[in-house]
Amino acid sequence: MARFDRASGRYIYVEVQNIEYRVYFEESGDGIPLLCQHSAGSDGQQWRHVLNDDQITSRYRVVVPDLPYHGKSQPPGSVQWWKEEYRLTRSFFIDFLVEFSRVLGLERPVYMGACMSGCLAPYLALEHPDKFRAVIGLEAVLRNEEVPLDFWDHPRISNNYKAAAMWSMMAPGSPERYKWETMWGFSQGGPPVLKGDFNYYFKEHDLTGKAQQIDTSRVPVYLLTGEFDPAASPEDTKQLAEQIKGAKFTEMKGIGHLSLCENPEVLKRYLMPILTEIAKI
Amino acid sequence: MAVIFLDSNKVEQLRNAINNDAEFKLAARFMSEDILLEVADSRSIIKVRNGVVTEIKLNPRSDDDWSFSIKATAESWDKLLQPSPPPFFTGLNAGMIRGNLEIVGNIEVAFAYYWAMNRMLDIMRQLQNK
Repeated sequence: MARFDRASGRYIYVEVQNIEYRVYFEESGDGIPLLCQHSAGSDGQQWRHVLNDDQITSRYRVVVPDLPYHGKSQPPGSVQWWKEEYRLTRSFFIDFLVEFSRVLGLERPVYMGACMSGCLAPYLALEHPDKFRAVIGLEAVLRNEEVPLDFWDHPRISNNYKAAAMWSMMAPGSPERYKWETMWGFSQGGPPVLKGDFNYYFKEHDLTGKAQQIDTSRVPVYLLTGEFDPAASPEDTKQLAEQIKGAKFTEMKGIGHLSLCENPEVLKRYLMPILTEIAKI
Repeated sequence: MAVIFLDSNKVEQLRNAINNDAEFKLAARFMSEDILLEVADSRSIIKVRNGVVTEIKLNPRSDDDWSFSIKATAESWDKLLQPSPPPFFTGLNAGMIRGNLEIVGNIEVAFAYYWAMNRMLDIMRQLQNK
């Protein structure tokens, strides 16, 4: 007898900033919508452990889109995207998530993102407090220092570099097979995608002077960061949390920057109390 | 304890371990580069030809050529080579992001063979703690 994964996938058409995208998403479970967004440079496969978790999917409808240009969400058919450099902007990222939720009929979903998508969580709380029930940011920071980006998309450097660079972003104790699966995801992205995503992460993401305006009485904000994260250290996230009155910050021991997929057991240990709390709101 | 790539009694063991490693063989194919490893003022050069480490040269002369260098303090190398390295010392990228090590020279080549460098560091860590 065939053994099926809990997640099922399909395509939906989403119009963002006057361009239509054919968007792939996976989902699993019933209940409160939990919109999970993948990190920079990878795709929805990063959330497969959450999609397959009995405890989570018994209470939540987990929905995982591939952002356009990522995974199975191809670039749009109506523009000559190959003639310009791919760059993710903050406004596109926010508009995409709001519109994707609307067309799919997700009623005030809980948003959870990691890495660049984790950084977006407070922005969603700031700009769309009525559209989200709560936001969970993994590895979120106030802002990032700009770094040279050219080598993230270079004709003489293969996607192996992107994968290998993620090795030490994860904790030494995370299971080897999940670390390699995580790296595989980064090796699968279109060549310019990770660098293009960094346009938001390193350049446009800046909550300085804005984080204080987030009203956590309208949308609770949870921030979790791994002990071994060199990009967004627990101290970095703590600084962001201190700017948001009412935000709840937790350091996750024994996990690194790819906490959404490098060690599912550790993530779940920290995530379940939050999901239980949100379910009572 | 001396860092393994500076220890004259262990560099041949290190060379053999790297050359017998299946992952390194995959990652280093086509690689022909000389890598300078620096611990403060102490140095060695790992010479790779067609994916095989042909020599680990201790105390290279100033006119020995190299493609790129991985440089850190003795304290940082000690943490990088611990069996379970602490936060911000888990490998090359983590070390670079936090300023605990530097890669200088031909960065393009270093990043092209980043996977091989990652694996080399892991093998060094294993032997350092044997």
